[in-house]
Amino acid sequence: VTWGDALAVAGGLAAGFLSGAIGIGGGLMFVPTMTVGLRLPQPVAQGTSLVAIVPTAIVGGATHFWQGNVLRRPALLMGGGGLVGAVAGALVAVEVPGDALARIWGGFLLFSALRLGLQAIRNPRRAQASQQD
Amino acid sequence: VGGGFVLVPLQVLWTDTSQRNANANSLVAIIAIAAAALPIYIFRKGSPQIDFHVAGFLVLGSVVGAFVGARVMGRIPDRQLKVAVAVVLGVVGVKQVLFP
Repeated sequence: VTWGDALAVAGGLAAGFLSGAIGIGGGLMFVPTMTVGLRLPQPVAQGTSLVAIVPTAIVGGATHFWQGNVLRRPALLMGGGGLVGAVAGALVAVEVPGDALARIWGGFLLFSALRLGLQAIRNPRRAQASQQD
Repeated sequence: VGGGFVLVPLQVLWTDTSQRNANANSLVAIIAIAAAALPIYIFRKGSPQIDFHVAGFLVLGSVVGAFVGARVMGRIPDRQLKVAVAVVLGVVGVKQVLFP
């Protein structure tokens, strides 16, 4: 076991925690752990991240399921829709200018962050109410 | 991208799902999405660029992290959870806009 392996475990731990707590895949942490931490090339980091996301999401998803936080219908619908979208996206593989796409994507994230933040500030009662269900 | 960054805010902002349920649903949906994307990725690329040695160590940490993270989420009030999600989305959003 090398320092690199230890770093991968530490990065994986952080990625998994974020994944389980916030409901994202974990690629957000997996990829920089490999590119910045282990100095792997970007394509390798992305391929490896995709492999690591599957078991991470299974463990996190199962834990949420046991805790009763999963609403079955929406989860199944999103999974099904996402599956179709993933297949379509991979097969079509459209050529889009990467930078523009990344900026639009960033804009969408900022917009979402702002809306969620405002909702948390403005709507304490609704947030409290949904806490109890 | 895995899809969680779209699924989580979409549910909360448009369908009035609680943050807790949205995060949990998203992760379950990601299982299906990533499991579908993986074989396509492997077959489409002539030589899939995967470092299985690194993947093994990443997963070693991440499955423990995912279990702990999911357990911790169950104890965080919905409002604080919302703020945490907003902060992560905001940081990634700024990074994407400034350094695409």
